[in-house]
Amino acid sequence: MIEFLSYGFVQKGLVAGTLVAAACALLGVFLVLKRLSLIGDGMSHVCLTGVALALVTSTQPVYMSVPVVLLSSLGIMKLVQKVRIYGDAAIGIVSAAGLSVGLLITALAGGFNTDLLSYLFGSILTVSAAEAVLCGLLLLVILVLLRLFYRDFTSACFDEPFAKTRGINVSLLNTGLIMVTSIAVVLAFKVVGIFLISALLIIPPVAALLVSRTFRQVLGWAVCFGVISVWVGIYISFLWDIPSGASIILINLLFLSGSYVFSKFGKKSHD
Amino acid sequence: MSSVLKAEKVSFAYTRVPVLENVSFDVQSGDYVGIIGPNGGGKTTLLKVMLGLERGRGKIELFGTPLKQFNAWHKIGYLAQKSPVSQARFPVSAQEVVLMGLTDHHGSGVSVGELKQVYAAMQQTNTRQYAGKIFHDLSIGQQQRVLLARALVSQPEVLILDEPSTALDGTSREMFFDLLAQLNQKYHTTILLITHDTGEVGKYISKFMYVDKTVVFFGTKEEFCHSKAVAEKLGAFAQHTIDHLHNQHGHCPLGGTCQECGK
Repeated sequence: MIEFLSYGFVQKGLVAGTLVAAACALLGVFLVLKRLSLIGDGMSHVCLTGVALALVTSTQPVYMSVPVVLLSSLGIMKLVQKVRIYGDAAIGIVSAAGLSVGLLITALAGGFNTDLLSYLFGSILTVSAAEAVLCGLLLLVILVLLRLFYRDFTSACFDEPFAKTRGINVSLLNTGLIMVTSIAVVLAFKVVGIFLISALLIIPPVAALLVSRTFRQVLGWAVCFGVISVWVGIYISFLWDIPSGASIILINLLFLSGSYVFSKFGKKSHD
Repeated sequence: MSSVLKAEKVSFAYTRVPVLENVSFDVQSGDYVGIIGPNGGGKTTLLKVMLGLERGRGKIELFGTPLKQFNAWHKIGYLAQKSPVSQARFPVSAQEVVLMGLTDHHGSGVSVGELKQVYAAMQQTNTRQYAGKIFHDLSIGQQQRVLLARALVSQPEVLILDEPSTALDGTSREMFFDLLAQLNQKYHTTILLITHDTGEVGKYISKFMYVDKTVVFFGTKEEFCHSKAVAEKLGAFAQHTIDHLHNQHGHCPLGGTCQECGK
């Protein structure tokens, strides 16, 4: 264990993974309750376009992906608000567009080497110190927003029309939530990989919802499940030399199973 | 009496088919308005447009302020037709739900003053005993009473209610309409209530608004109930409503004497 923690790349990976898992868990609670949980999946597919563009232009994938994913998330918002199509359909359209463009760029560039695979499935080796700092900033922004607008977020999540009649700018909150989620998705693809980012946004909140009786408990448990799964997942990935994304998500699934068993056979928390 | 809700030539369409066309009315402070009309006539949509939940064309004023500039939302209490929680496991207590009706603070803290307001509203709606329970675990009727407490917690000057009594049992319904009458008479609260149950609420209402894509009729209940000309103008649905009011009670439940039938 000590040997494991002595490696610089492991330290960076653990720090970045912890921060990004906590950020994704907090955002995921709102996304799951607003039935927008698949937005992570859609955004992750769009990430492929950013990564492909970065590999073609020899720039950092994170910096190239952030604007691409942000623009796509705004595209989803516009499709829902202006064209008035369902949220899941809008996510599906943008997701398919992102994946197609990414594959097209990859094909036109004559394919890529193993770099692309590491982005698809996650590789803790690729996390830089600057990215770990960005993860910290992201979590800080989320915590500050939650502190300042906790009641607005829960109200808008619980009953959007009523929240509007309280003067809450629900549209701005939704846009903010989706844009912060987009950045979290970009920062998370180094840790769990493009294919598995959405799991980090969905599984910890769903597991937390099964065992909690208050909204604060949901947020707390979701962060716990997300962070512990990253720690254990990275350790297993190091031990068995497997992609970190897969091991992290499998640990998350164990938490989900345990939560389900607890909610079924444990103390009835809602009584 | 001052204008509380005013609409001038308001129109709205979800697609190309208009749901509301050239709607104009002016609700005065202290009015108790029963909004009636056929299914699909645009009653719910009208309330949504008035509250800015749907964007219509035309001029809307709340308390004399154009809708876009209006920000005194604590003056308005709103109870929608459907309960907001259709999905399982939204972990908020009934007390937290009522707290959402207050707009002064946005962050995570709750002041003692706010808690007092919440308990007072829950007392009014006889839901204090559910304060710590998970909202989702309550029955639909109990949820509806908690949501009424949420609409009342900011001590609004206007209550906008969309078929609020459909999920309530007989006792709760009676308590509910008595409370509305008390708010209207004692505190001069303006009430707009969408209802199909004209017989039950007719005795409390001061005005009727008949909506069928536009405001076909808006006036006192006496004008509505006792005027044959109005009945002819409004067609089968309105005639049915008047007949229902007369037949159910054996006489006009709204008071006064009908000029046509003498009851």
